[in-house]
Amino acid sequence: MLKQEINELLTRTGPGTPMGNLFRQYWIPAMLAEELPENDSPPVRLKLLSERLIAFRDSDGRYGLIDEFCAHRGVSLWFGRNEESGLRCAYHGWKYDVTGQCVEVPSEPDNSNFCANVKLTAYPLVKIGDVLWTYLGDPAKKPPLPEFEFAQVPAEQTYTSKRWQECNWLQAFEGGIDSSHVTFLHSGGLRSDPLFKGAKGNEYNMKDLKPFFEVAESDGGLFVGARRNADDGKYYWRITPWVLPSFTMVPPRGDHPLHGHFWIPIDDHNCWAYSFDYHPVRALTATEVQAMRDGHGVHSDNIPGTYRPKANKDNDYLMDRDSQRANENYSGVRGIAMQDASLQESMGPIVDRRKERLVSADTGIIKARQKLRKAALALAEDGTTPPGVDPAHHRVRSAAVVLPREDSFIEASRDALTATPGVPQSTV
Amino acid sequence: MRQILLNSCAMAASAEEARFRIDAPIRGREGARVIALDQAANEVVRRVAGQPWHAARFFTLPAHSGNGNGSLTLCTLDGVSSGLAEQLAAADVVVMIATGAGDAHAAAAIGNACAVRGIMTAGLIIGDGREALGALRPYARVLMVTHDETDVTEVLTALRA
Repeated sequence: MLKQEINELLTRTGPGTPMGNLFRQYWIPAMLAEELPENDSPPVRLKLLSERLIAFRDSDGRYGLIDEFCAHRGVSLWFGRNEESGLRCAYHGWKYDVTGQCVEVPSEPDNSNFCANVKLTAYPLVKIGDVLWTYLGDPAKKPPLPEFEFAQVPAEQTYTSKRWQECNWLQAFEGGIDSSHVTFLHSGGLRSDPLFKGAKGNEYNMKDLKPFFEVAESDGGLFVGARRNADDGKYYWRITPWVLPSFTMVPPRGDHPLHGHFWIPIDDHNCWAYSFDYHPVRALTATEVQAMRDGHGVHSDNIPGTYRPKANKDNDYLMDRDSQRANENYSGVRGIAMQDASLQESMGPIVDRRKERLVSADTGIIKARQKLRKAALALAEDGTTPPGVDPAHHRVRSAAVVLPREDSFIEASRDALTATPGVPQSTV
Repeated sequence: MRQILLNSCAMAASAEEARFRIDAPIRGREGARVIALDQAANEVVRRVAGQPWHAARFFTLPAHSGNGNGSLTLCTLDGVSSGLAEQLAAADVVVMIATGAGDAHAAAAIGNACAVRGIMTAGLIIGDGREALGALRPYARVLMVTHDETDVTEVLTALRA
């Protein structure tokens, strides 16, 4: 349960809001690099943290992320011409470079300096891995670039997709640290999904439906450990890291790639779910990549040419009651990503957390909300830099390990939870 | 017969439809028990107990809390002794609070008694609490190690204690 004012604080991310200001302390995914595949490719209209923006890649390969609307008459630059190192408004030909600087106003005299005083709001846009990252905060406080392992391994070892999720970012993100739903909602996937099945750990998962949970703080956020009985009197631990504001990883299964998510607010009723898979020490196989493209694992099968899943709320997520009855899919919805999204969207655009009945197994969610609230308030009160800004906080991994009963999962897994180049993941 | 899909999710998940969710009052939790497992935890529990709660009951352990046969005596914050079994009769969650070492015997007695009765257990360790971790891990279905005392309040509030 949350008071309404705290729910408002955590869910509203527009300019000037406490949580919006918090998100504006971080480099966040703005779009996939594939959306701007070449120089002078068509500009892309996007909304982030309730700000309407346009992204483009100029003739020299520079990325720009600027106010969507021309300074002249407020026309959308989506109609613009991306040519000769700038984006030209289709209405009267005003032209902007990647910094938002107006560089040409054709109606003015050739030797006029009018355009020097016209500059649109612009944000940095930087390619790291498959993602174009941006920072929407104060330029004077721009932190170092992100160092998440999925974006830093060689290209053949990583794959990232994204999908539009039609609900507030917080209820989507909370699914990422809610380990207790996996055994139910995703039980079908543990048996059949090509990116999940076959791991020894899955047996432990399915044998023990009432795991114990431990929540421990980390420098960048939390580690949530789910503990089940393993063989020989040991414990099987699945450890999920969360790095503020919204980066989570799923504990691995066998030699399958590691995967995880970023949830980025589009506005208060919509978010992007970025989903990635990577392997720290080997290339992804063609079969694995095809499975990801087909919407298996944490990915979604999107409508071609869009980032909207084929199964969406307009078609009731292609609900299959026969599949539900036959226990192929616990909820009747196919695919892990859409199983999560369908339920999270069903909560409504922003779930009313005053009406929740939380149980102690939700302690990870309770703690995460507290950390977000405290980080937002500390930032507002005295400018405290929140956890997760420092790139050192990004060098985490999820892990699945079998440990002696007496071991602390944090201390025994310290190396396993640290992203170290060239070192394989710890998995069962 | 297969149900004919009517695209009902698109409408049902809208902000407009959220206005029609049944707005029945939610009763607080009647069965929350909060037990301090060591001296420093006693102080934490006393501070937390001073806040407004629905029906949560708060306890400490007396100096000699067990009789060796698995029973355990608790102490209300007013100093009144009460048997663990009596306090668990109507409990639905027990939250154990520890700081340094905790009391491993008490944790075991509480955990075992809760397991028999199907009562959920949670443990909050304030500080590093390495010893407390070992004491609580077998018996707390949910365990949080934190340096922030306000987590006790956060968890109990979320549980509607």
